[in-house]
Amino acid sequence: MAATAIVPEGLLRWPWKVSLVLLALTGFGAAVLHSAAGGSWEPYAAKHLMRFGVFLVMALVMSRFNDTVYRFMAYPAYVVLVFLLVVVEAIGFTGGGSQRWIDLGFMQLQPSELMKPAIVIVLARFFATLPPGMVGTLRGIAPVAILLGVPCSLVLMQPDLGTTLAIVASGAVIVFMAGAPLKWFLVTGGVALAALPFAYQFALSPYQQRRVTTFLDPASDPLGKGYQITQSKIAIGSGGLTGKGFGEGSQSHLAYLPEAHTDFIFATMAEEWGVMGGVFVLMCYALILRWALRVAGRAPHRFGRLMAVGMGFTIFFYAAVNMLMVMGFAPVVGIPLPFMSHGGSSMMTVMICIGSLMAVDHWGKTQSRRRY
Amino acid sequence: MSVALGGVAQASPAFRLHQERRRVLYLAKIRGLWIALVFFALAVVALARIAWLGAVEPGAQPLSMAQRLLPERGEIVDRNGVPLARAFHARALWYNPQAIGDGGAPLVKSPEAVAKALAAIFPEADEGRLLRKLKSGKPTYLARRILPRQMAKVHALGEPALEYPPEKERFYPQGSLAAHVIGFVDADGEGKVGMEEALQDRLLDPAGRGEPVALSIDARVQGALEDELMAGIEMHEAIGAAGVILDVETGEVLALASLPSFNPNRIDSDGAQNIFNRVTNQVYELGSTFKPLSVAAAIEAGTVKSLARRYPAREPLKVGPHRIRDSHVIGDSLNVPETLIHSSNIVTAQIADELGVERLQKTMVDLGMSVRPEIELPARGHPLFETKKWSRIRNMTVSYGHGIAVTPLHLASAYAAMVNGGIYRPATLMKRAPGEYVEGRRVFSPATSAKMRQMLRMIVVYGTGRKADAEGFRVGGKTGSAEKPGSGGYRRTSLVSTFAAAFPMDRPRYVIIAMFDEPTGNASTYGQRTAGWNAAPAVGRIVPRIGPMLGVDPDATRDIDLSDLKPLVVTEG
Repeated sequence: MAATAIVPEGLLRWPWKVSLVLLALTGFGAAVLHSAAGGSWEPYAAKHLMRFGVFLVMALVMSRFNDTVYRFMAYPAYVVLVFLLVVVEAIGFTGGGSQRWIDLGFMQLQPSELMKPAIVIVLARFFATLPPGMVGTLRGIAPVAILLGVPCSLVLMQPDLGTTLAIVASGAVIVFMAGAPLKWFLVTGGVALAALPFAYQFALSPYQQRRVTTFLDPASDPLGKGYQITQSKIAIGSGGLTGKGFGEGSQSHLAYLPEAHTDFIFATMAEEWGVMGGVFVLMCYALILRWALRVAGRAPHRFGRLMAVGMGFTIFFYAAVNMLMVMGFAPVVGIPLPFMSHGGSSMMTVMICIGSLMAVDHWGKTQSRRRY
Repeated sequence: MSVALGGVAQASPAFRLHQERRRVLYLAKIRGLWIALVFFALAVVALARIAWLGAVEPGAQPLSMAQRLLPERGEIVDRNGVPLARAFHARALWYNPQAIGDGGAPLVKSPEAVAKALAAIFPEADEGRLLRKLKSGKPTYLARRILPRQMAKVHALGEPALEYPPEKERFYPQGSLAAHVIGFVDADGEGKVGMEEALQDRLLDPAGRGEPVALSIDARVQGALEDELMAGIEMHEAIGAAGVILDVETGEVLALASLPSFNPNRIDSDGAQNIFNRVTNQVYELGSTFKPLSVAAAIEAGTVKSLARRYPAREPLKVGPHRIRDSHVIGDSLNVPETLIHSSNIVTAQIADELGVERLQKTMVDLGMSVRPEIELPARGHPLFETKKWSRIRNMTVSYGHGIAVTPLHLASAYAAMVNGGIYRPATLMKRAPGEYVEGRRVFSPATSAKMRQMLRMIVVYGTGRKADAEGFRVGGKTGSAEKPGSGGYRRTSLVSTFAAAFPMDRPRYVIIAMFDEPTGNASTYGQRTAGWNAAPAVGRIVPRIGPMLGVDPDATRDIDLSDLKPLVVTEG
């Protein structure tokens, strides 16, 4: 009670707990990046913390917007992003083997990254306006297929399989939460499973095919395409229970581990901090996701709930696929680890998700449950 | 809930809306739980995996620089550290059309130009073949082995598609020397035939492979043995030869040769025929070389109380339907040293008969004759040994080396026991540490052993083994010339000639067996094919070569004291 007198009410509604978790996780990520750079703040760690600070402010600003702003912005933002994807395809320049960026001069914009939160918002918006009775009908689902299909095919053309899967997964989870019949998911899942061999044969380019075969048997090519997974598993395994100690990881420092500061940062971390470090990171994600689900549960309306679940799931998808990949459970797809991997685009995406979640949290605390 | 559902029929629109709202909320909760469950399940999987990788599977440790420098397969050296088998870093020339990887042409220059340049580097290569391979666009070997100089030249061509991967290679610097002992490594990396097979696990063990495995073989001794046996094969036009040199105290094999041999560096069809090991895998009826063993058994048992005792030797010995005869009539009667010196079947059979079936059979079993030879090699022949109680006639034939077939290694181990004071020890190809004592089993008493040393020496001084008497080396031994069994009985024309010896007889250090398979008689041997004319001289040539290497210097002033037995032997001189 005394606190209310001193601290403004707005600050009290701030989700303090999850912010602390985020700070801890990002700080831990900065420590690992510090070590990966050979014990230096440059070039990774300092930038990492700076970006987090900037994007945290952005998230806080986002959390203050009213739900009408989100509802209003959903479709225009989606259209702009689809347009940008087309632009990337048309004039974007080549980087890393596929066309993904638009050079804006001050930064390189990756529209496919922004599409991940955008698809969540636009689908949440769509289902919020769709009468619940129509969710299970074809008329209800056809627009969803179009909303999902257009950006997915554009991203797949880049080609960027990882991002495509992320967009599809986020979309599917919203359709699921909106209450689409279970059999749709079962049938689609079955068809997808049956189509896998054909997709492997015809839809994947040779380098992607190699990633899949390598995933199934890393030992088949330990010095070639299996190298990343093998080295990553060595790094995690050599950490043991408590790790080799901060700054003592040989896999990353001797450059055995590829992408030690981006996609494989979890392995870099596990080598130096061991199982304890891994458990800490998992705990942080668990807390963030629990918060996301609670926010969804407290949401005052359907739009907010769907958006919260979708945003939470996007973060979860990043973390889960990345960790499964690093542990050798999933093929190598270029997906970074949220809050830990070095990289501006992915940081922006996850912080947009966090900002949106904070916004839903804010609505839940300020608005009464007028709608569902 | 059920009450509410019960009222659906008469529900007002407002109530129906409420119902629908509840249903959707309920569904959302269930679906939310589902998603939470997926989160949870994946978190559990991730946790389990981290724990597994971190705690259970730390086997995949990164290699240290020292470990990287370890050979992939341990080296094998002889007892003095001379390399017998070593890892060898070779490189092949591999064509990888995917190396550039942009889907364009695999080569920077035209295939014709590259083929021409390669043909200039590898003069033995066929330019047309190279060009076909380069144009095919398939990954393939362009050359199986290239030299570092050639690798540098290929590198200078600047073609990323030309790769030179390291190839595993086992190199045997001594060529075919001791090939049967060492063996070889096949294309799958499996050791074959010799110690490469026997030591497979140890050679691959990361903990131990940095340390070379030392065999008991002495490369110099092995070389001398193979050289003299090969000379003997040529001299006597034999189809093969076998030889083994054994340390009588430790059982260490210093040399083991089966000729003709093969080159483990290159196994071709000619070499493959010779992989069979005559020393440890082939069993022979070794004939008269068994006589000293039978006499020793009789002395040990006390049935021969005096070496001066005379046995009738003129008439063939009738045992039931069988007749035991000598090659020629040696004399009316023979004492024990004379029996061995002149190699009489008739008298040996009488001594064995007197000794009895049980005791000779037991002696043979104690000498290891009834089981495969005791040595590390994978190729060990099973002796033809009657395990049931012998008949009287078998007892008598075994006493002079027929009706029993063993490997030359069996014979070497048995002779070692006979001359070393009476203790049988298994043979080994592993170097024993200095001072390492090997527990054996006593077969003969030291007194019996001493008498046998005297008599073996007398055979060389006065008898059939005279050509083995290398001056100053005090060689003692026994010849044996057995007819090889063929279809329908023994073949008189094909012999297995063996000389089983030990030196120096005043204090035996080494047993040496030399054996020729089907030697022929020629002018140099006055038409003789028996062991005294081929195997014994071979030993006579080998001993002076290896003696000094092994610390046995020729000394004309020393010899085993034969003065008590000399009067028993009628000499020409």
